[in-house]
Amino acid sequence: MADGLPTEFDVVIIGTGLPESILAAACSRSGQRVLHIDSRSYYGGNWASFTFSGLLSWLKEYQQNSDIGDKSTATWQDLIHETEEAITLHRKDETIQHTEVFCYVRQDMDDNIEEIDDLQKNPSLVTSGTLSKLLDSACLSEEMHSLYGTSHGISAKEIPKNDGEILLEVTGIEESQVKEKYYGDKTCIHTFADGDKDENKPIVEDNTDLPKRNRITYSQLVKEGRKFNIDLVSKLLYSQGLLIDLLIKSNVSRYAEFKNVTRILTFREGKVEQVPCSRADVFNNKELTMVEKRMLMKFLTFCLDYEQHPDEYQDFTQCSFSEYLKTKKLTPNLQHFVLHSIAMTESSCTTIDGLKATKNFLQCLGRFGNTPFLFPLYGQGEIPQCFCRMCAVFGGIYCLRHKVQCLVVDKESGRCKAIIDHFGQRINAKYFIVEDSYLSEETCSNVQYKQISRAVLITDQSVLKTDSDQHISILIVPPAEPGMCAVRVTELCSSTMTCMKDTHLVHLTCSSSKTAREDLESVVKKLFTPYAETEIDREELTKPRLLWALYFNMRDSSGISRSSYSGLPSNVYVCSGPDCALGNEHAVKQAETLFQEIFPGEEFCPPPPNPEDIVFDGDDKQPEAPGTNNIIMAKLESSE
Amino acid sequence: MSMEDYDFLFKIVLIGNAGVGKTCLVRRFTQGLFPPGQGATIGVDFMIKTVEINGEKVKLQIWDTAGQERFRSITQSYYRSANALILTYDITCEESFRCLPEWLREIEQYASNKVITVLVGNKIDLAERREVSQQRAEEFSEAQDMYYLETSAKESDNVEKLFLDLACRLISEARQNTLVNNVSSPLPGEGKSISYLTCCNFN
Repeated sequence: MADGLPTEFDVVIIGTGLPESILAAACSRSGQRVLHIDSRSYYGGNWASFTFSGLLSWLKEYQQNSDIGDKSTATWQDLIHETEEAITLHRKDETIQHTEVFCYVRQDMDDNIEEIDDLQKNPSLVTSGTLSKLLDSACLSEEMHSLYGTSHGISAKEIPKNDGEILLEVTGIEESQVKEKYYGDKTCIHTFADGDKDENKPIVEDNTDLPKRNRITYSQLVKEGRKFNIDLVSKLLYSQGLLIDLLIKSNVSRYAEFKNVTRILTFREGKVEQVPCSRADVFNNKELTMVEKRMLMKFLTFCLDYEQHPDEYQDFTQCSFSEYLKTKKLTPNLQHFVLHSIAMTESSCTTIDGLKATKNFLQCLGRFGNTPFLFPLYGQGEIPQCFCRMCAVFGGIYCLRHKVQCLVVDKESGRCKAIIDHFGQRINAKYFIVEDSYLSEETCSNVQYKQISRAVLITDQSVLKTDSDQHISILIVPPAEPGMCAVRVTELCSSTMTCMKDTHLVHLTCSSSKTAREDLESVVKKLFTPYAETEIDREELTKPRLLWALYFNMRDSSGISRSSYSGLPSNVYVCSGPDCALGNEHAVKQAETLFQEIFPGEEFCPPPPNPEDIVFDGDDKQPEAPGTNNIIMAKLESSE
Repeated sequence: MSMEDYDFLFKIVLIGNAGVGKTCLVRRFTQGLFPPGQGATIGVDFMIKTVEINGEKVKLQIWDTAGQERFRSITQSYYRSANALILTYDITCEESFRCLPEWLREIEQYASNKVITVLVGNKIDLAERREVSQQRAEEFSEAQDMYYLETSAKESDNVEKLFLDLACRLISEARQNTLVNNVSSPLPGEGKSISYLTCCNFN
């Protein structure tokens, strides 16, 4: 990093989550000089996705988070002039809590080591690289150190127990300040052996009674780790949603690829079923009777233009949607489908909101496929990066691993005029956009945050098996008792490039009432069976098996009004972290609103000139280029 | 936009330290230009050049880093559907050569397994300031199983050869079905871009 960061910008953006990244693209596109930085080593903040080993490192990072804050704060005070004051940033990141990891597959460290990636063969890389080390599960604990350069005394220690259970405990954590918190919150890695006494037995030997199922071990997960792209947030794109519209309009869509969600599932009376939502689905469905099919089609057709028939729902506007559905001559089965799987609302939602949600769902059907949703290949974490690329193409400057110590406020004008980074470098700008998690406790003292409960599971089969194992499914599990939240389950197959072959990646999400595990474990138990139990309980064999599970709570800073933050200058704008909703509408709306606020009248993410216009044919090599080039530049100028 | 006016389409991605001449290589090849100084490439996402190889039209989509390499902040998505990578260093800059293993790690992490990587030592017009010997680079590229070539974007040495050889290799790979030559699915198992997913009316 020989050359230093420039020091004059129009806009400085701190945090690379989705709203910040959209804003960065919008500002850069409209000709602003943008500096976009993130204190982390990866893009996306809480919107990021990780390989398997990347996720393990991320977990470790949260466990040793405490030392980040206090390291280099000594210098900035001297850099503040008399006419200025500072608003400090960067307290330790507290957005992730209650992390709990469960490993159900066995952790033989030595099987199939020779399968290691190609790079391992290259001696020069083995010596210089951490990557090849990552691939060796035996080195897991070291990997964390080498990746983060900290030797904080946290090491994974294997403690074999007599009862065949291996507990991978985090030891040495006592030195760090997070001790009570994370240790108390059971941030330890639970490991269950396979019920198999002989740990070193080759895996091929005992698959006789489970002929169809592949045996997967922990070291395989680690070795194939880069096949995983595990999202911290689980979202989908509504095919008529704001994000799709923005991706298309701004041409950012060219940086990503998508797949259709192929199935909408429902969970009823202990069974997972596919929800018929298109006309074809309804008529092909074998579970529904003819009468039900007609009822459902009639109701869905009505929902598509419910505004035209106010007499159909006017008397029920004060009722909940579920009450309303009971009056619509739908069987309980159909009511369940509509309420939970099509409208995807809570039972308490109003009739109007329910109709609106149903209509939205139906309108999104058929745009790109026969469910209303798209999923980005390689995970949701790609999307913020795509907007960052657009920002960079228009001159935005990018710097990860760059920390900001404070905002510098001019006392007289009350406006923020600069930031001071971790090198003590002052960077001036007119506008500052800061993601919520970077703000200090002092700034946020009046803010009440919600929480999101998340689980990430690696499983060996789909929750609803069909001929193809390449389905992307969404399943809403209604609350077990009233007052609880419905749990949203997204199941991804390997062709989404988010998990290795022969596995599925399952995301569970709900808004928190307790810790993530307390909120979600009952649903996990309903749908899956731990890997170890299968040989004991044969009835459970029909369920997919859990290979690995992670629970955590993520802070939901959406919906916080600007006035809740204390002492922020008017030219400092706040973006929130991910919200709990299925779509990305909140992030897009927030970015657009803030952009209009900062640059009223400017167009939000207009389409860039098409690179296809710069076509040069292979044969003619006369210097026709400058002419064409001028056209492009002229185009650019006129669009700015 | 002319539809399907080619037999093959390949995405080629350039990486390497800032200042090694990536943009110059692209512009020399696509436009026949050597931009004096660091010409701002603002707003240009990728460059396109269609070449004819053995009677077949090959469209090369060549992507540049957009400056994100400067502070080692290239997005992962940049690598995702590349058919080939051109890893560039500056033969007059030892540091740019020493960073190659780091770049290879990024490739390993984020690029497809099937990606073809070419190592390019640029700026051979400045031979008197050479810091990295050809032999060292050859040994390195051999160890990493990469093709290797030295170029001068300024003098236009080997630039055509670089891209045309690459195109030939990509074609023969495609023929062996390791690449699927289909605009809508650059690599097997991958998804579609929104514009290709369109089945209904918009715009």
